[in-house]
Amino acid sequence: MSDGAVVKSDPAPATRGRFAWSKKWLMPLFFLGLFLFWESSVFVFSIPRYILPPPSQIIARGWADIPLILTDTFITGGEAVIGFAIAMMLAVPLGLAITFSYVLRHTLYPLCVSLEMTPKIAFAPLFIAWLGFGLLPKVIIVFLVCFFPIVLNSILAFGSLSEELTRFCRSTGAGPWRTFIKVRLPAALPQIFVGYKYAAINATVGATIAEFIGSDQGLGFYIQISSGNQRPDLAFAAIFFLTALGLAMFGAVTLIEKLVIPWDISQRRRSKA
Amino acid sequence: MGASIAIRGVAKSFGTGKSRVDAFGPADLDIAPGEFVALLGPSGCGKSTLLLMLAGLLEPSQGEVIADGRQITGPRTDIGIMFQDNTLVPWRSVRGNIDLQLELRSLDPRGYEARIKDLIRTVHLDGFENRAPYELSGGMQQRAAFCQALVHEPQTLLLDEPLGKLDAMTREAIRRDLQSLWMRSKPTVVLVTHSIEEAVQLSTRICVITPRPGRIEKVIEVDLPWPRDLEVRKSAAFVAEVAAIHDIFRRFGVL
Ligand SMILES: Nc1ncnc2c1ncn2[C@@H]1O[C@H](COP(=O)(O)OP(=O)(O)OP(=O)(O)O)[C@@H](O)[C@H]1O
Ligand SMILES: [Mg+2]
Repeated sequence: MSDGAVVKSDPAPATRGRFAWSKKWLMPLFFLGLFLFWESSVFVFSIPRYILPPPSQIIARGWADIPLILTDTFITGGEAVIGFAIAMMLAVPLGLAITFSYVLRHTLYPLCVSLEMTPKIAFAPLFIAWLGFGLLPKVIIVFLVCFFPIVLNSILAFGSLSEELTRFCRSTGAGPWRTFIKVRLPAALPQIFVGYKYAAINATVGATIAEFIGSDQGLGFYIQISSGNQRPDLAFAAIFFLTALGLAMFGAVTLIEKLVIPWDISQRRRSKA
Repeated sequence: MGASIAIRGVAKSFGTGKSRVDAFGPADLDIAPGEFVALLGPSGCGKSTLLLMLAGLLEPSQGEVIADGRQITGPRTDIGIMFQDNTLVPWRSVRGNIDLQLELRSLDPRGYEARIKDLIRTVHLDGFENRAPYELSGGMQQRAAFCQALVHEPQTLLLDEPLGKLDAMTREAIRRDLQSLWMRSKPTVVLVTHSIEEAVQLSTRICVITPRPGRIEKVIEVDLPWPRDLEVRKSAAFVAEVAAIHDIFRRFGVL
């Protein structure tokens, strides 16, 4: 009987072992398979190169043009990072002010909600008409696509301190400033980071579209020109760098989040898994 | 010695019109300094609501709350209050959460070293000072919250089911410690509880509250010797007291 029990309990570690193996390899294998599928499909179905080039060609041609692609990556990345950083700094204080001011809650708050619903990209042609082809209109558009999600998440963050904790703070007689520093601000951080991450994703999208509309440099411009010249291989190479840019910004915010709020439930789950 | 507390015609309703909920009262009660009063009643009868009104954290819809002869109009900061849901913050350790009470009061935790050590030992959390709340069990969190509520040496304690999530053994130990703490320094204590036994064991008087809308149906003087150790709890008088309160709740139809 006891032998049977031992045998029965055996499969569990074995399964866990298999999962451990797949945990490590599943993702790289999946992407490798995807690229192989793409590569072979182009040949098997003899898809014209000017419509869909195979990954090998994208890599080879992209590599040949790498100095220009890297320069454009820095330009687009610069626009995205500057616009995002300004939004990051201005949006949280505004969210805080809206949370605690009756007047702002009934004026700026509905304005922010409406503007969040507006596709900010729709303003891009206007900014470019007003401000030209330079850096400034792109930074403004990135700023706009980043700013409102952070404002709205900050309002949510500062407004949702639990009733119990609010009462606890009141029962200590602590003033608003002390309460803010010791309780309200740290309690709000997880939700603020939700806004930051959302904005980090928006930033590269905003920069790229702004460049589509009016620019003479940057990855958005590069993609537009390559597509126009029937060079989808170069466009794909640029798209790859855009993706890397987006991932880098999102990763940076996630890393900061990990350092700032290691105690948050989202971080805890990840560390346990 | 703690403060005296009185309520005069206090009632609380939430909401207006159709969605109005009469949560508590109206009721009158006088609590003398140094008394240990239990609020005993079924779930939803307004015990927490009353406690918050005693703390000045919730304004009565009617009547007034009076502490040491003065009407309460805002949060009382001279009390120690333990809320039904614990108020531990996730970004601080157990020790940090206890310090938070002091820091919010502009008190220096370094001046309270001995007291904090003592409290932590009392609730058997030694060795867990540096753990985060989420690393503790529900009962351990409750014990940490107990320390947080008492660290600033308040002379009036308002405790909302402080022992609710504890296992029978730990609960027994902390009841005993709470009792000796009360016997030593005679703070005024108002304790919310579901447990008839706990109320009889710890209190000088028990307020029996009716189901919603809660009214103070009866105030029972508990005339048993101190300390109410195991001997007293096995005595016929103790058992009879518990049985009598059981009967009252059976008449309410909640038992
Ligand atoms: N903020 C609120 N808004 C509306 N109704 C409320 C609010 N707080 C409490 N109530 C209502 O008041 C009544 C009493 O609530 P209270 O929390 O005081 O009960 P309680 O006696 O502490 O119950 P329990 O033992 O379950 O904690 C309940 O019916 C509840 O629904
Ligand atoms: Mg309650």
